[in-house]
Amino acid sequence: MAAAAERGTIVADQLTRVFNGKVRAVDGVSFSVAKGEVYGFLGPNGAGKTTTVSMLTAGLGATSGRATVDGVDVLRHPEEVKRRIGIVFQEMTSDGDLTGRENLELSAALYGVPRGEVTPRVNGLLERMQVADAADRLAKTYSGGMRRRLELAVGTVHSPSVLFLDEPTLGLDPQGRAGFWKYVQDLRRDHGMTVFVTTHYLEEADGMCDRIAIIDHGHIVAAGTPAELKDRLGGDIITIRPTQTDANLVDILRAVPGVLSVTAQDGSFRVKCQNGEGLVPTLVDASTKAHVGLAGVSLKRPSLDEVFLEFTGREYREDEGMSATDRAVMLGRVQNRLGGRR
Amino acid sequence: MIRELGALTRRELLRLARNPQAIMTSLLLPILYLLLFGQAFNLSAAVPPMELLLLVRGAPTYFSYFAAGMAGFVAVTATLFIGANVIFDRLFGVLKRTSSTPAGATAIFGSRLLAGIIQPVGLAFLVLGLAVALGKAGLSGLDVTASLTVVGATEVVLAVLILSVMFASLFLAIGFTIEQPQTYFAAVNAINLPVLLTSAALFPWGLMPAWFRSVASYNPITLAVNVIRENLFAGATSYYPYDASVYLLGLTAWAVGIIVVAILLARRALAPKA
Repeated sequence: MAAAAERGTIVADQLTRVFNGKVRAVDGVSFSVAKGEVYGFLGPNGAGKTTTVSMLTAGLGATSGRATVDGVDVLRHPEEVKRRIGIVFQEMTSDGDLTGRENLELSAALYGVPRGEVTPRVNGLLERMQVADAADRLAKTYSGGMRRRLELAVGTVHSPSVLFLDEPTLGLDPQGRAGFWKYVQDLRRDHGMTVFVTTHYLEEADGMCDRIAIIDHGHIVAAGTPAELKDRLGGDIITIRPTQTDANLVDILRAVPGVLSVTAQDGSFRVKCQNGEGLVPTLVDASTKAHVGLAGVSLKRPSLDEVFLEFTGREYREDEGMSATDRAVMLGRVQNRLGGRR
Repeated sequence: MIRELGALTRRELLRLARNPQAIMTSLLLPILYLLLFGQAFNLSAAVPPMELLLLVRGAPTYFSYFAAGMAGFVAVTATLFIGANVIFDRLFGVLKRTSSTPAGATAIFGSRLLAGIIQPVGLAFLVLGLAVALGKAGLSGLDVTASLTVVGATEVVLAVLILSVMFASLFLAIGFTIEQPQTYFAAVNAINLPVLLTSAALFPWGLMPAWFRSVASYNPITLAVNVIRENLFAGATSYYPYDASVYLLGLTAWAVGIIVVAILLARRALAPKA
């Protein structure tokens, strides 16, 4: 890899993992994450996100390729990597039969936090994560949001230089998510922590990550800042749904000044253009003059959902692996976002 | 390593202390055996004293022989579930969390072993104490006829300890290797029952066929209970071809072999998946 990439806090170079000799869960993935950066790994279930995190955190060997975290080769020195990183898994991994405080004390001891620092650090984290009142209750009695916050506290009690978050906000309500991300941003600001996060939630990736990689079928299909990725779409998307099929409509729409491209999709027409808001009346007018009735017109600003569609050929919410609830929540959020451009 | 071992052992002990039902349940089996079966299987009433000495290798009564064997029996049976906790910790994500920390496989394995042998060792000596108390209460009881020396008492403690450590290691290794609880219990039963039934823990030595004795004499539970019986019963030494220390050595050899294999299996299970 290039020398610049080698200087990254997290570097993956042609990282590959093959299961059972044939399933290429991660296939030649390369990227570099700079110190203090929040790097998002976006993709549907089964895309290879968790497998990548498992390899980078020394929980899973790589079939080929190499990776370094905080300058340490993950495959050669997994124990050293474990000392330098913190992990928040997508499932609950704190011990339900221990209290919140005991979970943090255990984690502090396992990561070698100096004995004299354990109590103040644990108390500080309990306060900060708003579980101080329940500190001496068994973790299994916590609400979902409290348990997630405890997970984050357990993963960061040793102030790691690199934090891996694997679907960290799964199951949290919007308020819980906001609080969670505020703490992550605080950690980054106060400790210069590098954060690698995988997520289903497009709006989270959009709002919280400095850079994003979209992974699909084990390959990175696009990478860049959220703004760069959206810019690559080339403009807004207007979807026109005619009352009846009219083959001439494609040519009519293409002829409108400002239209960049028109594609037919499931009986609708996807018009890519600059300044979509200003162009909608013109497109409606052109359709009316051509005696084409319209059943609906919608405008989408560039969003990561559109980016995902552009680079993978399918809508993000069509992911079969997502639960119906997650789909519904995400759809609502994406629709809400259409009101304003980033 | 020491700090990690201490922290993880504390976690195991906290969990144990928070589950009094499990402790109470584990007490039921030995108490039932001593109060019901030990009292009912009274060979002393049916067999002349000299013949009985041959049958139970110098123990004054069958109950005394039985009680000493029960100490070895519970030292094994109380370790049966130790690996199941590993499986449930894996299912609940706790093992994933622990494995992701710098805590090494030795600390993870060792902490469970340290905490896991408290119960079987404690139960074994509770059985011996209860059996003596039953005798004092006028029931069939453990009659310690030898004057127990410091060396003898140490040998008894070591025999129980080594036996517990050995089987706890074995069942822990199975727990680290197997992912499904059902498979674990099937595997544990496949080991536990044959080993217990081919030992001299409860069955009178003098009633065993010759071939069965040959098998039983190498059984680690037999080796452990031989150490206990030789030290508790006066004149018992003449019924055993070797000194108690020899049986202790044989038990140690078994334990070292099993523990080494167990640690290797646990390290392999906890290493990053290749």
